[in-house]
Amino acid sequence: MKTKEYLKNGGLSDVVKFVSGNSIEVGRELSVLDKFAVDFTAILKKYTEYVIVSGYVSIVLGRSRASEDIDVIIPRIDFETFLKLYEELKKAHFYCINALLPEDIFEYLSEKTSVRFAKESTVIPNMEVKFAKNRIDELTLNNTLRVKLGKNELIVSHLEMQIAFKESVLKSPKDLEDARHIRNIAEGYFDEELIEKYKCELNEIYS
Amino acid sequence: MKFTAENQKERMKFVDFWSKYVLEHDDKVWSKQQNIIINAGLKNNKMTKEQYLKMKGGI
Repeated sequence: MKTKEYLKNGGLSDVVKFVSGNSIEVGRELSVLDKFAVDFTAILKKYTEYVIVSGYVSIVLGRSRASEDIDVIIPRIDFETFLKLYEELKKAHFYCINALLPEDIFEYLSEKTSVRFAKESTVIPNMEVKFAKNRIDELTLNNTLRVKLGKNELIVSHLEMQIAFKESVLKSPKDLEDARHIRNIAEGYFDEELIEKYKCELNEIYS
Repeated sequence: MKFTAENQKERMKFVDFWSKYVLEHDDKVWSKQQNIIINAGLKNNKMTKEQYLKMKGGI
């Protein structure tokens, strides 16, 4: 991983880049899940900001586990914009698993639930999309990390937020293992105080 | 209870072992192995849309 190379080369600015949650380069061979994420977000980003959260963040950084879905948060968008996004997704052979009509899909999203998009004739992998619904979601959207996968790029959440969320809200063995993996991979690059700050904010909302 | 705790400890040990491997090897090397797990999991799933949504609690 480039993080170690940055250290070896004494590339302080690159280290700072990583620590500030700006950018990380992973020269990985793309999985089916990576390709799906790249295809979907290539369309999504034309219409809105987005941030990938949860399990896929640790997976893209090397965690050895499978996942059938990718969670993504987008800001609340209006129906007109959603319709354009939906039409382009449809053209690219994506469909929504939860509902058929764009009006119904938009209603799902607006009611603070999420919707899932997969490729036609499949159910997995799928992209679970939800509107930002609280201060934490907004914070996550505004503090992102660019993951460069060759010519492609994905926007994921700050690693500090992922660690905090998994350690203080989700807490399942799988989530604690995800957090541990991120901690191991990014050791020396993340801000422990920021993790604690995020945990306090998360406790206010989720406790 | 003891088994669960022991199992979790072992799993964490593997997380540590694997993340060290990721850091010490070329991205192409570890990702090739990781992709065996990811791609196989996706390929072998034959669930219908209804079964999948039920499993996920409707969402």
